[in-house]
Amino acid sequence: MAEAMVRLEGVHKRFGDLEVLKGVDLHVAKGEVVCILGPSGSGKSTLLRCVNLLEPPEQGEIFLEGHDICKGPGSGTGESSWELDFVRQRVGMVFQQFNLFPHKTVLENVTLAPRQVLGKPRAEAESKAKALLERVGLGDKFQQYPERLSGGQQQRVAIARALAMEPRVMLFDEVTSALDPELVKEVLDTMRELAAEGMTMLVVTHEMGFAKEVGDQVVFMDGGVIVEQGKPADVLDHPREERTQKFLGRVLER
Amino acid sequence: MISKTRLTAFAAVLLVGVVSVVVAGCGSSNDSSSTGASGGGETLTVGSDIPYPPFEQGKPGEYTGFDIELMEAIAEKIGRTAEFQDTSFETIFRDVAQGKFDAVISAATITPEREKAVAFSNPYYLSEQAVLVKEGSDIEGIEGLEGTTVGVQQGTTGQELAKEKASAAEVRPYPEGPDAVNALKAGTVEAVIIDAPVAANAVEKSGGVEIAEKVPTEEEYGIALAQGETGLLEEINQGLEEVEEDGTYAKIYKKWFKLEPPKEIFTLGEAAE
Amino acid sequence: MSEFFHQYFDFHIMGAHFSEVLEGFLKNLLLFAVVVVLALFWGLVLALIRQLPAGRKLIPLRGVTIAYIDVFRAIPLLIIILLISGGIPFLNFLPKDIRIPQWFGQPDPFWYGVLALTLVYGAYMAEVYRAGIEAVQGGQMEAARSLGMSHSQAMRHVIVPQAVTKIPAPMLNEMISLLKDTTLVSVVAYGESVLVGREVLAETFNSSAVMLAGLMFLVITLPAARLVDKLIARNQGKITRGAHIEVA
Repeated sequence: MAEAMVRLEGVHKRFGDLEVLKGVDLHVAKGEVVCILGPSGSGKSTLLRCVNLLEPPEQGEIFLEGHDICKGPGSGTGESSWELDFVRQRVGMVFQQFNLFPHKTVLENVTLAPRQVLGKPRAEAESKAKALLERVGLGDKFQQYPERLSGGQQQRVAIARALAMEPRVMLFDEVTSALDPELVKEVLDTMRELAAEGMTMLVVTHEMGFAKEVGDQVVFMDGGVIVEQGKPADVLDHPREERTQKFLGRVLER
Repeated sequence: MISKTRLTAFAAVLLVGVVSVVVAGCGSSNDSSSTGASGGGETLTVGSDIPYPPFEQGKPGEYTGFDIELMEAIAEKIGRTAEFQDTSFETIFRDVAQGKFDAVISAATITPEREKAVAFSNPYYLSEQAVLVKEGSDIEGIEGLEGTTVGVQQGTTGQELAKEKASAAEVRPYPEGPDAVNALKAGTVEAVIIDAPVAANAVEKSGGVEIAEKVPTEEEYGIALAQGETGLLEEINQGLEEVEEDGTYAKIYKKWFKLEPPKEIFTLGEAAE
Repeated sequence: MSEFFHQYFDFHIMGAHFSEVLEGFLKNLLLFAVVVVLALFWGLVLALIRQLPAGRKLIPLRGVTIAYIDVFRAIPLLIIILLISGGIPFLNFLPKDIRIPQWFGQPDPFWYGVLALTLVYGAYMAEVYRAGIEAVQGGQMEAARSLGMSHSQAMRHVIVPQAVTKIPAPMLNEMISLLKDTTLVSVVAYGESVLVGREVLAETFNSSAVMLAGLMFLVITLPAARLVDKLIARNQGKITRGAHIEVA
């Protein structure tokens, strides 16, 4: 079996007294799209944020391309800069609130990290950025500031921005939840294309349609653990666990 | 609904406010005024710039010093009780002229400018200025002050003398006399010009300083009153005379200056007329 | 009543002593000018140290900085001035030139004042910077970090440029306070306008020169306060989603 792109083993995370992740195991193969569903408070966002060490886990191991990016149990604040840099240059993240840099143009948003972190010269960073922005359909917006863009457009810029760092894995944290319904599609389309190109993706979402069509694996989380996982058709249409059934019953009613 | 934190914070502020007022209230009955020896009768409010040892010093309620005791003695003679109030020197003449106090005793030299604003009693003390320097300094006197930094107390005759005679590079006015002496000890000024008895007191009590020269300015201290108060003025002059005659003056003088009072003092009143 | 006006608004006295008081006021301005530059810089240093993420090895430094900021905001400025001018000259292990500084022709009270005001206003300004930095949403830092930027890169390119726009109004308030507080240095015989006013008061038995000094301050602080109000109103208008923020 090929080494998984991302492997989580026994990951625990607590915030103060609250244990949010209670032992999570997950394998994500290269090129796989894993969709993570669950009620709020289930820990799904936290799980994502462990993968790029925004929230370092207290316990457990996380392997990225075979490298252990945590130092082991009890390494809660393991902020060795080598590990962080390693992780964050290989893992890109897109947020629910876009988090574009409001004081920079669209183009600058995308070129900032490659220039500062990877040391790319301006010309190179800009031409790459332009290519990415065109790919997500925003080739005419280079010089605009984020405030001028719609939510969907901003999110696509955010995706381009994350892609500019040439990540191996992309994390999507409910990226369409803050969008007006008519703008959701453009973002999902972008993500679909990305998946088709072979990007390894972990997607926390409520978009069941997307999960079914694009996902290779669906994971249902509740109360800090993975309750059920499997192929989308199986989990979504024939959930085995009661909790999954309840959740899906509620969600599909929408 | 106000949150619990907000309520607690508000209560805390209120508590602090109330406590401060209460403490201030308790303090103020005693704070800057102290009742002198009771001669019974009406109080005589007396302003003074405290501290200025050995003339006036001490804590509220326990003021003491040559001026303080002299005033208490005079008050007794005229059937009044002296109550002292600490005040800053540069406003003291204006304040008594405005009626803020009945009288002012504060090692205050009688000068023509001041006489325009207030009335003075007969002189009660003969004084001069002194040049105070750090022990071992090679400044020998007022001539040696050329180009130096000289400390003085704001609004005093010492300040005037410094400006007129010292050709100092800078004359630095401090709010209180002792501040100037401290600056001298710290070395931020090279000399201090201040009333000679105060200088002598500093030499004895605080050490590290010495008098380079005494400058005989023939200053006379007087008790200041508002200009219209002729009745009170007469009473105080009368009281002063009695205190001098019955030996109380000499006693107080010896206590604070360890010397017999010079004979001129007893004739100062006549010379002034 | 007329006595009241006479005490405070004797124009004859104001006129006679105008240039003296003005000279003193220029000393307030000089002190202000020197301190404002130092304190803006010192405050920024303090704020940046304070912002260091917990967990880094520099934690003791961060703790010291927080303690510093708390202490120097808590002790009254007048006390600090007195402690510095009353204490430093006695620190005999320092050379005289440092204990009793007379640099650039300014007397030692000036420099004690500079030190005291910088120490205290550095702390106040650090808090203004901090508020500005914290007003930048947390998501910005997360986005920057997840793109691989280090903490200091994120601060430099993402956080501080945005924080900078939230700072002018409160900072201007601090600066107005600073200008007013330069008068406290009169207590150590620095010849600024209040000291001059009190000198005249002792000479003339009249407070008009002090009032004159007050009026000179008003000439500067009133318009400045208005400006602060305008800045605040303008910023409120700018707080829209993802507003394009102009960076100077």
